[in-house]
Amino acid sequence: MYLEILQRKFLPLQILLFFLVVSGCEATLAPAYDQAIVESVTENSELAMRFFAEVDGGTESDSFFTRQSTYNKLIGAFLSLKLQAKARPVPKNVAVDKINELLQAKGSNVITGDYPSAFAFEQIAKTFIKMKEVDRDRGLKPLALEAFKGQIEIFLDQAITYESFLKR
Amino acid sequence: MNENVTNIISEIKDIASGILEKDISAVRGFSERQVEAIAKQTVLIQNGVKNGDIDEDLREFFLDGLEAMALNFVNTLKGILMVTLEKLWNALVNFLYKAVGVVI
Repeated sequence: MYLEILQRKFLPLQILLFFLVVSGCEATLAPAYDQAIVESVTENSELAMRFFAEVDGGTESDSFFTRQSTYNKLIGAFLSLKLQAKARPVPKNVAVDKINELLQAKGSNVITGDYPSAFAFEQIAKTFIKMKEVDRDRGLKPLALEAFKGQIEIFLDQAITYESFLKR
Repeated sequence: MNENVTNIISEIKDIASGILEKDISAVRGFSERQVEAIAKQTVLIQNGVKNGDIDEDLREFFLDGLEAMALNFVNTLKGILMVTLEKLWNALVNFLYKAVGVVI
């Protein structure tokens, strides 16, 4: 009788201890922090913001050639960052599988190897590619330019926040 | 309740609170910034379409962009949650292993 009550009382703790023992010590659920990525994002976001300051108010397609190399540099930099971010191995373990099962049961998307920062870097590159195309073809009007800048800032915030968070 | 169990519960609560409080405050700041920025971006696109600065082609591009940024906002939160879970998990494992005298 007494034994039964005690067993029931400590059951959750026993389950937790058992799970910790069989799942194997420390877990890695997210990729490693990479100082080189953070430094590159900082450098290229500064370059991007300087570029937006230079073209503030809009552009004419006639002067596109003076900006072409900056576009190319920014596109190349963010595509390269996407590759660097994706190159880190994705931790695959029991804990992630269990979390994905729970997410699926709740009807939510599972956690995949697509890092949010890599996705954001790709979107930033796509935004500069589109901006370059519009600038070359018809020039950038003030509100269109503001919208390009806004889109890039939002994706930058997502990437920088995630990458900084990886520093445990 | 056994004094040891009470101590263990108290330690676990302290460890969890310490990690969660710090991370939740960072997540709250990020969420507020993102929600405000996405709302401003939506209004900016509306105004651009109205005054003609944003044509049909660009409107489609920016609408796709809004969808992508909303999706990635949620995925960033999920990614951050994984880091928090990892910190929480490892701190608890360390504590529990030490409590039962296992060296890891």
